[in-house]
Amino acid sequence: MSDDDFLRVTDVSKWYGDEQVLNEVSFEMNRGDVTVLIGPSGSGKSTMLRCVNRLAEAQEGSIRLDGEEVLSPDLDVNALRREVGMVFQGFNLFAHLTAVGNVALGPRRVLGLSEAEARDRAEAQLERVGLGEQFDSYPAELSGGQQQRVGIARALAMQPKLMLFDEPTSALDPELIGEVLEVMHGLVDEGMTMLVVTHEMSFAREVADEIVFLDDGHVIERGPPEQLFENPEEDRTGRFLERIASHD
Amino acid sequence: MASATRPATVRERVADSDRSVGRLLLLSVGALFWSWLVVSWVNRWLGGVLVPVGQPLLPPGAVEATVAAVPGLAAYAADAAFVVDLTPELARGTWLTVVITAVSLVFGFFIAVPLAVSRVYGRFSAWLSLAYTELLRGTPLLAQLFVLYYGLNLASYVPGAFSGVFVRDVVWVAILGFTLNGAAYQAEYIRGALESVEEGQITAGRAIGLSKLETIYHVVLPQGLRYAIPSWTNEFVYLIKYSSLAAFITVPELYYRADQVASETFRYTLIFVVTGVTYLALVLTASKLMERVEERVAIPGLGVEREE
Ligand SMILES: Nc1ncnc2c1ncn2[C@@H]1O[C@H](COP(=O)(O)OP(=O)(O)OP(=O)(O)O)[C@@H](O)[C@H]1O
Ligand SMILES: [Mg+2]
Repeated sequence: MSDDDFLRVTDVSKWYGDEQVLNEVSFEMNRGDVTVLIGPSGSGKSTMLRCVNRLAEAQEGSIRLDGEEVLSPDLDVNALRREVGMVFQGFNLFAHLTAVGNVALGPRRVLGLSEAEARDRAEAQLERVGLGEQFDSYPAELSGGQQQRVGIARALAMQPKLMLFDEPTSALDPELIGEVLEVMHGLVDEGMTMLVVTHEMSFAREVADEIVFLDDGHVIERGPPEQLFENPEEDRTGRFLERIASHD
Repeated sequence: MASATRPATVRERVADSDRSVGRLLLLSVGALFWSWLVVSWVNRWLGGVLVPVGQPLLPPGAVEATVAAVPGLAAYAADAAFVVDLTPELARGTWLTVVITAVSLVFGFFIAVPLAVSRVYGRFSAWLSLAYTELLRGTPLLAQLFVLYYGLNLASYVPGAFSGVFVRDVVWVAILGFTLNGAAYQAEYIRGALESVEEGQITAGRAIGLSKLETIYHVVLPQGLRYAIPSWTNEFVYLIKYSSLAAFITVPELYYRADQVASETFRYTLIFVVTGVTYLALVLTASKLMERVEERVAIPGLGVEREE
């Protein structure tokens, strides 16, 4: 692929002890792309995401983000993470901070904004995800959908150039999934570059530029959604998609 | 949360009023106890503005006469006068007990937090921390005080700036001993609480670009220290009682003064019952205080859900 790929993952392998969880995984994204990672439980989707912001360490391969080698031992990982936002399945909101406190912490302590600037930025991000009324609520006082939107706002407040989503709606009651997907749709429309692990196939079909199917640490198949959903080349892909569909 | 609905049955209503009567009683006894202490201390600091230094706030003779006048209590009138006579010494000793406990607790806390953090998140420092806590928790506190006082003779090395702050410089040795020992216990309680902070909290902190130490400072400690309050209160209570060991290195705190009067008057039972009640009042104050702190800093929507 060409050198202007914004994110280029090449032959990434990772082991936990003797167990290989990523096996020469490769894919690439352009700026503004949405790539959706799918695959069965334990196939390595979360691990792949976490290698991109170095929450997990890949032992082999290369991950280039905007021309810089992410896996370089000299890389300042905190500087990398400033530019790569992450949204978690379990929200992981800071339990002792209000919604504003959660979103403002990064701008205040990592970007060095003043208290007032950080608060302004946090409020703006919360408005953006539709939580203008919940500035001073604590996580335990919010619904799951609201918590996840705070989680998204927290990541956005760092003004990242890439957003990682690890099953952002899997922990939510069905009636709360929509509000989170709506926020994600909005980000897609704004041109955010997003790498998303999800089982929401209609979302994937609608917004993904490419779908990557992982199984057992291998990329089994990847391509645009129409191709993967309508004419999967691999049996395994088709069977996985059928299984997911029957759950919906 | 107190609900706005009225208690339904008579039994509930009685229980409800019992609780508030008990509370009120406890509060007034507490207020009386602390007023006595504070007034006694202030009187001494100001050189006896209310009563001559060393004299009780109430004249023992008057107390004796009053008690004797109550039918059925006449037999205890002399004892009451004796206890009143004792109060200046008790107040004086309690001052040192309070100061030693409070100062050691605060100093110990600032050692305990890094110890606990090292233990949970450190590598080499985890071993150092473990060695420290095991050593200090595994040996008798009295032995530690003896090492500091008799062994190292630290009382004669108290720096000029600190010397003379207390009646005797040995008070600093006691504070040092309780600080070092208390830090080990506090560290254990705080460690347990830090370990109960969810892993995802740290992941989230790291993911926005906070360093490990920043994450600990801004995310883990604010939560962990809140969770530590109930068990940490135990250490507070223990320290109040263990501070009596300072008597064995000649610190004139509450126990020491009580013991002195007892060996002069041989009224051991009466004196140590009164002394015990004084410790009890301090302990109750500490635990009530920490309960309030816990409620005050509770995270909305989480935590302190006391049964009513
Ligand atoms: N910290 C870890 N230590 C050891 N093994 C791990 C660790 N994290 C993940 N694994 C293992 O790596 C494999 C891939 O895990 P991963 O979480 O990436 O899968 P996943 O595709 O995200 O699954 P799920 O859909 O259940 O989230 C699994 O077999 C898992 O048990
Ligand atoms: Mg996962």
